[in-house]
Amino acid sequence: MTKTSSDAMGTRRRLPWETIAIVAVILGCALTTVDFLWAFLRAPMVAGARLEEPALIGGTVVTTKMLFSQKIFYFHVPVAIVSFAFVIVAAVYAVLFLARRSERYDVRCRLCMQVGLIFIIATMISGDLWTRHDWGVWWVWEPRLTTYFILTLLVIAYFILRAAIDDPERRARFSAVFAIIAAIDAPISFMITRLIPSSIHPVVLRSDSGLSPDMLIPFLCGIFGMALVGFGIYRLRLRIEEQAAEVEQLKREFEQTVA
Amino acid sequence: MGRRKRVQANVAGEAPARPRATAWQQYRALLAKDVRIELRTREMLVSMGVYAVLVLTVYGATLSQTGNSLDILNVASGLLWAMIVFTSLLGLNRSFANESADGCLEGVLLAPVSRPALFLAKATSNFLFMTAVEVVAVPLFFLFFLAGADVSSTAIWIVLPLLAGTIGMAGIGTFMATMTMDTRGKDVLLAILLIPVVFPLLYACVAATSTALLGVVGQEAVFWRSLALAVGYDVIVIAAAFGLYEFVVGS
Repeated sequence: MTKTSSDAMGTRRRLPWETIAIVAVILGCALTTVDFLWAFLRAPMVAGARLEEPALIGGTVVTTKMLFSQKIFYFHVPVAIVSFAFVIVAAVYAVLFLARRSERYDVRCRLCMQVGLIFIIATMISGDLWTRHDWGVWWVWEPRLTTYFILTLLVIAYFILRAAIDDPERRARFSAVFAIIAAIDAPISFMITRLIPSSIHPVVLRSDSGLSPDMLIPFLCGIFGMALVGFGIYRLRLRIEEQAAEVEQLKREFEQTVA
Repeated sequence: MGRRKRVQANVAGEAPARPRATAWQQYRALLAKDVRIELRTREMLVSMGVYAVLVLTVYGATLSQTGNSLDILNVASGLLWAMIVFTSLLGLNRSFANESADGCLEGVLLAPVSRPALFLAKATSNFLFMTAVEVVAVPLFFLFFLAGADVSSTAIWIVLPLLAGTIGMAGIGTFMATMTMDTRGKDVLLAILLIPVVFPLLYACVAATSTALLGVVGQEAVFWRSLALAVGYDVIVIAAAFGLYEFVVGS
């Protein structure tokens, strides 16, 4: 009887994070879906370049070309922001690891980098679609694209570095140092369109954006939705890691008792 | 285990009444050690120098079909920096081969050497060897590819970006090479870690070098801005490496 109650206590203690993670994934997916549907069905088109002569489209005379490609804004920007956030959080865990030398921070740093890499790849793919459509090229060495490409390379290099070191303590130490160096690029990449105005990449986040509620709501849904999905994946991955570590520990104890 | 050893070494070091060496003396001793090894073996200088010449040979073959249609001046700074980056990578990898052989670095770490002094000594020796190779390779590059080109009279100004670039490469390169010293596939790993990190420096140095070759007059703003970017990068990165070095050499 006492055993079951202590088991229940044990699970209850761990319960909130699991539930929160699953709720976060479901809620995040729902918000992202809202973002998706709203962006295509309700958000107004954005006026692009002026047409050479007025044209009759759908019964109304328009003088500017409406940019359907602007819809990428509702996906590309939230994904990119979440990817920056995960790289920064990974660096925070790296600093914590170097300060406290606890293995748990190393695991968290690595998982943040993993989730970050997923979002970075999503940003690269969605961004490239826009680049091809609107700029007419697959790639251009433009400040924002270049710095973001470097960030991608740094995060990939982080995993190559981890794979190349066998000793767990040294691996954790070196990868934490490298995670900090890699994270320096994230704010630079975020700020570069503001620092170098000649950049052809638009400055997206600003207080004077003048987004109408019809555009702001799906955008915010996208940011929070994707952040929640990322957080949920991270938390669930962390649970797997912790349980794997626990199994290893139990195995070791079992072997010691048998021997 | 390493910590206990070092503590014992400390205690043993304090027993005689000799004053502890200052950081400056440690720096000089470590630098002298590296220079002396290099002057005796000439491992790094020879391998880097030969490699630089080989890169120039490859350039010769790859550019041989362009004839007069290519304006070499426009791509010269890029080619020059590609050579410097690859040569430096080779040299940085070699520079730590001596350290891991016979447990040299471990021995140095057992002594109560200040970690920043160790980093600066290693970075300085790498800087010296890289500069020595550049002194030979850059004139060779001019001889092979820019002899017939209409090089601006301000070409001598490339010394400034070369200096800034070499300092930065030596600083962050030494830091990264210490990390990759004992890893599997260290030569490739150093390139994978270093090239993305060094990208801004490379970008700034190529811009400044290109401006110098094409003529600084009228382009002063571009030249000095690029150079300022390179120097700023050097300061930030070397400060970061300086602060993080003790985590890399182990504690």
